Amino acid sequence: MKSYRDPNLSPSPIEILSLDHSALYKRRTRDEKQFDHSFASDDYEDLSDDVPKQKPPPIKPHNVVKNMSLSNMYCSRCGDGFEPQEKIVNSSGELWHTQCFVCAQCFRPFPDGTFYEFENRKYCEYDFHMLFAPCCGKCGEFVIGRVIKAMNANWHPGCFRCEMCNKELAELGFVRYHGQALCYECKASAKASALNKHSCFKCHGIIDDKPLRFRGEVYHPYHFNCTACGVELNSDAREVKNRPGITANEQNELYCLRCHDKMGVPICGACRRPIEERVVTALGKHWHVEHFVCAKCEKPFLGHRHYEKKGLAYCETHYHQLFGNLCFVCNQVIAGDVFTAMNKAWCVHHFACSLCDQKMTQKTKFYEFDLKPVCKKCYEKLPAELKRRLRKALEFAPKSPSTT
Amino acid sequence: MDKAPVSCLPTTPKMSKAKKVLDDAREIQNPELDLCDKGIVTFEELPGLFNMKNITRLTLSHNKIRNVPGGLANLVNLEILNLFNNYLEELPMSISSMPKLRILNLGMNRLNSLPRGFGACPALEVLDLTYNNLHEGALPNNFFMLETLRALYLGDNDFEILSPEIGQLKNLQILVLRDNELTELPKELGELTRLRELHLQANRLTLLPPELGNLDFTSDKSEVKLHLNPWVAPISDQLQGGIVRIMEYIRSDTYKFLYKRQMSLNAPPPPKTVDKSKKLSRQRNAS
Ligand SMILES: [Zn+2]
Ligand SMILES: [Zn+2]
Ligand SMILES: [Zn+2]
Ligand SMILES: [Zn+2]
Ligand SMILES: [Zn+2]
Ligand SMILES: [Zn+2]
Ligand SMILES: [Zn+2]
Ligand SMILES: [Zn+2]
Repeated sequence: MKSYRDPNLSPSPIEILSLDHSALYKRRTRDEKQFDHSFASDDYEDLSDDVPKQKPPPIKPHNVVKNMSLSNMYCSRCGDGFEPQEKIVNSSGELWHTQCFVCAQCFRPFPDGTFYEFENRKYCEYDFHMLFAPCCGKCGEFVIGRVIKAMNANWHPGCFRCEMCNKELAELGFVRYHGQALCYECKASAKASALNKHSCFKCHGIIDDKPLRFRGEVYHPYHFNCTACGVELNSDAREVKNRPGITANEQNELYCLRCHDKMGVPICGACRRPIEERVVTALGKHWHVEHFVCAKCEKPFLGHRHYEKKGLAYCETHYHQLFGNLCFVCNQVIAGDVFTAMNKAWCVHHFACSLCDQKMTQKTKFYEFDLKPVCKKCYEKLPAELKRRLRKALEFAPKSPSTT
Repeated sequence: MDKAPVSCLPTTPKMSKAKKVLDDAREIQNPELDLCDKGIVTFEELPGLFNMKNITRLTLSHNKIRNVPGGLANLVNLEILNLFNNYLEELPMSISSMPKLRILNLGMNRLNSLPRGFGACPALEVLDLTYNNLHEGALPNNFFMLETLRALYLGDNDFEILSPEIGQLKNLQILVLRDNELTELPKELGELTRLRELHLQANRLTLLPPELGNLDFTSDKSEVKLHLNPWVAPISDQLQGGIVRIMEYIRSDTYKFLYKRQMSLNAPPPPKTVDKSKKLSRQRNAS
């Protein structure tokens, strides 16, 4: 007789049916204990080692025996004999009336002849699932094969995931945190952020003091040692971007502050942090490109010209606003009298005809050519066709410069 | 320099006047030489000039000079060189090695090109090339390395294209392209954040790059000249409203869309309308 000593069942109580009276159910709940092995985490059971991974093969072929020696043949269910012309079901050496070969639960014939056997009783597929196979707490489907028991429910391995990062938890293990199943990392960071603190990327512990930032993660500094001197690091440690001659491999390295300073990395005059990228040197100090800013508007110069005055740097606009005009010729701040005309300014030494460099005074009449001053003599020397075009394009008129 | 004599009379006895200016300057140690309109044809009329290392300004406007010898670069203290209105067709390569040259006026000459390596001029701030025969192909490869440049005068030349490398001239405040043959402008103009004077009048422009809208021409020291171009109607309509209105318009999505569409049409540029054959700079040097 073919017997399924241990069909592939989950030892899980199923709430949709009340089976407390059933011997089957009791057997299963007893077995549960012997299968149960918990992870380090509370509340976690995984039957993967004990339970076959496959759905149990349904038992299908059964012979219908005709006219053997009827005298000593009896139906396994009702115990009666068989009529001479009657069809007899033979399954693994046991015989049945066809009307007796039915599901132990619903008493109906097995659809397609497929049945599942448990403790010498045969069930149709539907009832077998209803009685013995658990439902997944996530997708609601039957779980056949590996069952994850956790958080007071059953799960497909693929359905039991970290509520925060969605990683499968079956292999990783999990922790219950405020009623949610989380992976260790997410639990650590959830707990840390609840405390308004960081959690260490290495040990998942809360970082009470200043964290060490390294390759984009935060850590307890004491997990690391200085790349150069080997001393245990504190939060002052510096992450150094890989540069030729500084680190051998491709990735950033950590150095204690002392070794870092010895490496000659310049320190920014504004933020006092090391400068790993472009260094601006001005006013006798080093600066991060974005920290070298106008003393007035605080915009970074980003490579534009700056103007220095009394140890401070200014953008052109504010330098002029604060300290006066620049002469168009000498490009110096104009100390004395200023000639202004055609959007420009000149110092007294440099207000001159732009073509012949002859000095002009505020009384000199001049012409405008591309917004530059031209003396009368020079203007008259210009080719007639140019003068015609200039006259046409602009209303040419002698102008006097204004003095301020 | 107060006493530098200037004469606009025709120069009759050669050498003498120019030579006298040199002698006087040497005597009183005047570092500024005014040799304007002295009928000078060659530097040979200026004996000993290249030994006057103290000179900071040399003004040679309105002469008939055809050639600048490489020895000019001996004047290592020269800051201002004015050769406006001469007969120059080319310059010596050594000019780019003059360490203090800040202001160079080469306007109204017959330049067809600039010497190789010209962009290496280390201190050039104002470069005036007005009224020559220059075009995009006439500039040396390193021309736009002139980072110190704050004013570039290219009016009355033959540029049809302005190189996108113009964007490298980060200190440029003044850019004059008046009376050229420009048919379009590079978007890199929008990178010239210090620009406050932009002269584009009398070209063949139909569109302004929307990036120009990044620039700030609102200060009272700003000037943008746009007239005498075959602008597309939406731009010419805005011309009356002044530069503020135009800048607002080219910053709009409406304009950006129009610009993209017009550019994708790849329409032929407007034809040349100005006959420049009569330009003085076209005259060939009699040899
Ligand atoms: Zn059944
Ligand atoms: Zn599931
Ligand atoms: Zn997680
Ligand atoms: Zn840690
Ligand atoms: Zn800084
Ligand atoms: Zn500022
Ligand atoms: Zn000045
Ligand atoms: Zn003049």
